[in-house]
Amino acid sequence: MKRAPYSPHLDVRNVLWLLASMLVVVAPHMLRLPYWVGLFFVAVVGWRAWISWSAIHFPPRLLVLAITVVATIGTYLQFGRIGGREGGVTLLVLMSALKLLEMRTQREVVLCVYLGFFLVLTNFLFSQSIPLGIYMLACVWIFIATLIGFNRPGRSPRLGERLRPAGALLVQALPLMVAFFILFPRVNGPLWALPRDGQAGMTGLSDTMSPGNIANLIKSDAVAFRVRFLGERPPYSTLYWRGPVLTLFDGGTWHMLREAHPATIAYTRAERPTRYEVIIEPSNRSALFAIDAPAEVPADARVMTDLQLRSARPVTETRRYEVTSWLDYRYGAAEDARSLQRDRSFNPERNPRTLALGRLWAAESSDPRAIVARAVQLFNREFTYTLEPPVLDPRDPYDDFLFNTKRGFCEHYAGSFALLMRAAGIPARVVTGYQGGEVNPFNNELIVRQADAHAWTEIWLAGEGWTRVDPTAAVSPLRVEQGVNAALGPIGVIPSLIAADRLGVLANLRFGWQLLNGRWEQWVVGYNTDRQRDFFARLGMPAVDWRTLGFWLVMAIFVVGGAVTLGLLVRERPRRPDASLAAWNRYCAKLAAAGFPRAPHEGPLDYLARVRRARPQWGDAAEEITRRYVAARYGDSATREELRALAGRVRDFRAA
Amino acid sequence: MLADLRQSVSDWIFRASVPEVPPVTLVQRRIFILPTRHGYGFAFVVFVLLLASINYSLSLGFVLTFLLGSMAGVAMLHTWRNLAHLKLRPGRCDPVFAGETAYFGVTLETPSLTRFAIGLRRRGEEALHADIGVGEPATVALPLQTRVRGRARCGRIEVFTRYPLGMFHAWSYVEFDLSVLVYPKPDPSAGAPPQDGRSATEEGIPVRGDEEFNLLRQYQPGDTLRQIAWKALARERGLLTKEFSAMASSELWLDWDQARAPDIEARLAILAHWVLQAEEFGQGYGLRLPGVRIAPDRGEAHRARCLEALALYGLAP
Repeated sequence: MKRAPYSPHLDVRNVLWLLASMLVVVAPHMLRLPYWVGLFFVAVVGWRAWISWSAIHFPPRLLVLAITVVATIGTYLQFGRIGGREGGVTLLVLMSALKLLEMRTQREVVLCVYLGFFLVLTNFLFSQSIPLGIYMLACVWIFIATLIGFNRPGRSPRLGERLRPAGALLVQALPLMVAFFILFPRVNGPLWALPRDGQAGMTGLSDTMSPGNIANLIKSDAVAFRVRFLGERPPYSTLYWRGPVLTLFDGGTWHMLREAHPATIAYTRAERPTRYEVIIEPSNRSALFAIDAPAEVPADARVMTDLQLRSARPVTETRRYEVTSWLDYRYGAAEDARSLQRDRSFNPERNPRTLALGRLWAAESSDPRAIVARAVQLFNREFTYTLEPPVLDPRDPYDDFLFNTKRGFCEHYAGSFALLMRAAGIPARVVTGYQGGEVNPFNNELIVRQADAHAWTEIWLAGEGWTRVDPTAAVSPLRVEQGVNAALGPIGVIPSLIAADRLGVLANLRFGWQLLNGRWEQWVVGYNTDRQRDFFARLGMPAVDWRTLGFWLVMAIFVVGGAVTLGLLVRERPRRPDASLAAWNRYCAKLAAAGFPRAPHEGPLDYLARVRRARPQWGDAAEEITRRYVAARYGDSATREELRALAGRVRDFRAA
Repeated sequence: MLADLRQSVSDWIFRASVPEVPPVTLVQRRIFILPTRHGYGFAFVVFVLLLASINYSLSLGFVLTFLLGSMAGVAMLHTWRNLAHLKLRPGRCDPVFAGETAYFGVTLETPSLTRFAIGLRRRGEEALHADIGVGEPATVALPLQTRVRGRARCGRIEVFTRYPLGMFHAWSYVEFDLSVLVYPKPDPSAGAPPQDGRSATEEGIPVRGDEEFNLLRQYQPGDTLRQIAWKALARERGLLTKEFSAMASSELWLDWDQARAPDIEARLAILAHWVLQAEEFGQGYGLRLPGVRIAPDRGEAHRARCLEALALYGLAP
């Protein structure tokens, strides 16, 4: 007879399961949030485990309240506010821990599991990569398994009895989830304002440049954007992806022109068009990237007077756009005198030696080309390309670089070169962006990473207009021809094994992974309104609106849901009982045929006792069968021989 | 008042019907299912997750939201399936004395699929849970705290489950003709049965007073188990045998008129005590109530007959 009275006390094993799930889901946060948050969480969870394990008292409510206040103040002190991404998540993590601490009833357990689902979501604020996605799926699985444990009153289920049904639930939910994911109408933009740092942690070029900030970017392996050329891929050395153009210089930092405005560019020469599609990662900035010089641009982007491509709104999610560029172009010959004057200006108080050198060159030659050649010669002779340059004097950084350290990176060369040109009276400016990229041999996509960030210069020549000069090429031609890894040699600053192995197995694996990541970014992470419209256009339904989507969603729910329902109900066929049970049922049938049926509520041993009393002549055989059956069914798992022996005894049994 | 109204509405909806013929199979149309409070809470959670996913353009947030939402739908099917086609039979209901806890046995059987956490409860009582494997019927004994003698009915039983996630409550009502006999609570202060009810043919004169001492002797091999004074053994007074030689063949009539008490229930309590006493000493006894006469005999079945007569005395059949 089975009786399982309901117990209001939480089962220890169930509680430990819940605590473990909470630890698992918070673990990725511990690496991101201040270390004390992780310590606090682990400590509180440990405390709660101890409470259940040793059946000690819960802390008094007043103490919990005090800890809550302390934790809130700690969060405030750490982040200067309570909201924001880091602050908000920290607070949620701390409060979940405290909720665990006062979890006494089934209702609060359920609340904690639901909190766990929110914690899963907060992880996606930081990353939506494939590995994290898989990890979080595992977390959901564990949470469901926990919930199942709490819904088995009176009996804590074994590992398999938790994980198997939880897995079945998730697997059966998948088809419907996919239907929802594809068909649920996506809304453009946030419903309410994003916290300012909601997208923090994104890397990308900034709108200013001072020596050192690109070098940090170059150490990042993150993808900036991917490019699919619709025609032939242009040569590597032409792949200058123009980003923010920096015109204003205060002696230390280059800034973007604030009054830059959209313009129709008049090219005096425009040849060799190339058309391509760019899938850009979120940067939270408005800069879009195009090969010099952009000709046809997407509708929600504008070309500025300085040729940079700007988006109408910041890139907060993965986005796709198509551009046509002229590889051979000439523009800006008719630049007005006022802007040229601006592009020659500098702060005369800072970097005096650099300015003196520029003026000296101007005095010795009036040909701008000769002056450029002298600068390139200078870099070529004495300078070293490195990602770990010495720290420069903040007041006169370019003096320090040109005359003392002589070691630097693209931004050092571009910045000092532009300043030298301005000192020599030649209009010059710094262009930041990316250079080159890496071709994925699987799909011929070009992957441009943060590591490909670059800075170069443009000078204005009378009669020709703005002309690109890349002083870094003078120091490290490979940088421009093959990319940053080549420039740094096989044991470069990027301490990555795979970066050195360009064509081997690892490279292939890496490209395969890239491809997968690309698809993931494009079709899963970047699945937005545009992508959804794209998807349906491919299915032959152009311009779907939310009403059409809603219709198909309802249809899908009926069809997919119906299929899952049917599948579940078909599985309800009687299951083949196991061997010992089958033998036992045969034995009971024999006895029933002899007029001595087993009562439904009667267990094997009770039945045996009754048989022994009423039909002593069967006693010994009945006893052996019952004993073997009980051992096989309720004992440790029976061997094949034991089962066969049981079946044999049943076969030989004669109820006469 | 409101609760009463709710009850009668629910009785009407769920067709609280006449006792059913066992076995009862919980077919599709008699299973009801509704979200629980946790289920509504979960719906709210999914809604908030959806809002957050939209607001932060979190694709994996959408994946999570839709996965959880779909899973709740699948869980509803699982909950329903956990209950559907379950077969119920009435089980044992052993008689008890008033004041004791009676148990209504209900046996549950599943044609396929192991059922987890199937709950049973009588109206207003705590639920009991059982797991039921294929070919392994489970019996749940629903307790009832008895107070008065008579026939206690089990009434409508709610069979329900919330497995696997507790978000849905699937239930069905079953009403078997399940009852338990409640014997009158024996009144030990009544002492031993009076001996003037003894029939004329009797020989031995029983010793009045504390018969327990007077009629015990040392155990001798050959004494039947029935005669052993277990109570004495339990009190560590050694193995003693109850000696009834003087009364073995005597017949005792337990008579309504002899049980002197102010009301019917007290009389029945006295008679119940006497029945137990007589049975314990292995004495043959008969029972005479107004309108009832049970010839002298002894044994379990006889005792049960007498007690049943006492339990049901004066009640509508």
